[in-house]
Amino acid sequence: MPESRNSRLTRPETLTAVGIIVVAAGFLVPTYDLRAISALLPAAMLIGLIVLSVFLLLADQRKASAGEDAAPMTTSPKRVIGAFLMIVSYALACDFVGFYISTAVTIPLVAWTFGYRSPVGLLIATVIVVGTIWAIFDFGMSQDFPTGRLWGR
Amino acid sequence: MYSDLLHALPDVFAWTNFAAVVIGVIAGIVVGAMPGLSATMAISVLVPFTFGLEPLVALGLMAGIYNGAMYGGAIPAVLLRIPGTPAAVATTFDGYPMAQKGEGGFALQVAVVSSSIGGIASAFALMLLAPPLSKVTLLFGPSEVFWVAVFGLASIIFLLGGNPIKGLISACFGVFVSVIGSDPIYGNDRFTFGQLEMLDGINIVILLVGLYALPPVIDLLETPLKTDGVNSSKLGTEPIWKALPRMNYWKTWLRGSFLGIWIGILPGAGGSMAAFMSYNEARRTSKHPETWGEGEPEGVAAAEVANNADTASALIPALTLGIPGTAVAAVMLGGLLVHGLQPGPMLFRDNPDIVFGFMWQFLFGAILLVLLGGSLATNSFARLLNLPRPLLGSVIIVLMLIGVYSIHGRMFDVYLMLGFGAIGWVMDRLKFPLPPVVLGLILGGFAEENLRLALRIGRGDPMVLFQNTTSLILVALTAAVVVGPTLKKRFIDSRKKA
Repeated sequence: MPESRNSRLTRPETLTAVGIIVVAAGFLVPTYDLRAISALLPAAMLIGLIVLSVFLLLADQRKASAGEDAAPMTTSPKRVIGAFLMIVSYALACDFVGFYISTAVTIPLVAWTFGYRSPVGLLIATVIVVGTIWAIFDFGMSQDFPTGRLWGR
Repeated sequence: MYSDLLHALPDVFAWTNFAAVVIGVIAGIVVGAMPGLSATMAISVLVPFTFGLEPLVALGLMAGIYNGAMYGGAIPAVLLRIPGTPAAVATTFDGYPMAQKGEGGFALQVAVVSSSIGGIASAFALMLLAPPLSKVTLLFGPSEVFWVAVFGLASIIFLLGGNPIKGLISACFGVFVSVIGSDPIYGNDRFTFGQLEMLDGINIVILLVGLYALPPVIDLLETPLKTDGVNSSKLGTEPIWKALPRMNYWKTWLRGSFLGIWIGILPGAGGSMAAFMSYNEARRTSKHPETWGEGEPEGVAAAEVANNADTASALIPALTLGIPGTAVAAVMLGGLLVHGLQPGPMLFRDNPDIVFGFMWQFLFGAILLVLLGGSLATNSFARLLNLPRPLLGSVIIVLMLIGVYSIHGRMFDVYLMLGFGAIGWVMDRLKFPLPPVVLGLILGGFAEENLRLALRIGRGDPMVLFQNTTSLILVALTAAVVVGPTLKKRFIDSRKKA
């Protein structure tokens, strides 16, 4: 069976191997400024990563030339990208807007977006989760949460 | 040697420590019952919350979760034919047909009793075998400790199965992450890029949460799981003491316990392998093998006893040598480190109350399984399957952020965790094993420190690493672990051809 991708180089394992080689090579540069004994283990690991990734790349390309199709990373890329973006946005919102506001918005937003469409259930869950966090961490353990850089705190 | 074991007992009965085990078992069953979540993930999310707790409270929670999750995985395995944890795959073979026949309640009771028996056997194995092994390892010097670390990494890479190149890449990545921060001897910065937050190195909890908690959350949000709830509504559960006389599986329990304990001790193996082996052996020796796969309760017993018997035993090499037998054990090592407890022989010498108390907590966790997994609880846990996955996912995201933020009270760690989470998701999808990364981080610094110490003792001569019998034995064992699986595969292939 012929490879169904437009290019053999876009196979996930090939891309990953190339990525590891580039990043590991980049990290090798600062090892030249270290003492030899300090650089020994990190340099060995980075060179190991580069060599192993070359093997991984060759093995994957060999599979491609044998007509073996690479399994897709995900069957629903939009949902995965959406999930990642929401998690990153939540972290940024906590940092810039503050923890409680971000959490109170994120819980129902994520659950609604990904298929849980009960407004009452969402309201109850949000109140319970945010309330429990406040009671245990803020009130009980005096844990400080991000208050939001935008407000200058 | 065993007197410390008895001395540790009163502390375990302090109400906070005991309550921690109870809460852990309940939480473990809940997590195990949710397909897509695992004990590894639960402990990863939990570890940062235990910073401020007494070590025995934290370890009790972990021991409880581990025991509970191993049984909890049986609930969706029996009711939905979806194993809650990888170790519960073999439970589906006979558990689901039993549920279809309206015997789901009995299947879950067989599972909980068998899990408890496996867990008790495993805890006894830990208590009996770990103390003498720790005495032996006390005699190790820097070069032996270095080789123990190398052996541990090699074991988990090559015995875990799968692609060894991917295993090696994972291990190299883990070891590399371990060297980030200040050099422990000269103090110069390594790969910190001027970030003050990186000077102390990468906290293991950040890596654990990123690697083990973020990918399952993405899975929860990616694939909506629809459950029909048909089997959950016709459990037909009776009180457990009435069901006990129908469970006459002593031979299966005994054999499964031995297999589970043995596989748990072997680095890189795990609960699913133990459950499969136990199931196959029980079926092979059964008088009615034709009934297996069609709802034979003994099949559930065989699988469940073995997957719980590998829980505490996986900690035997972990606590004594710093080499975890399973992924959960690797994460638990991280939990120990959080409390300043370095796994290895010194742990037994310096913190006997904690380490032996932890062993008792494993035993009590296993016993509590029967009490907490009884008929009423089983019915309640079965209803967990109807919890909406997107809501669960969003709550876990919040818990991840709180846990990581609370380590140092800074958002930098959260962003770092998200980075590791993205790497973990890619690794998970491309079937790169995750345990070598964690082990690499745990053993990397340890190995480097001892390697440099050994070289200093030998005045720079690398031959110092090969100058005593123990080191040579460890080198030979490492070589056997590396070459063994390849030779075995070639042998099997040549026999097939012949």
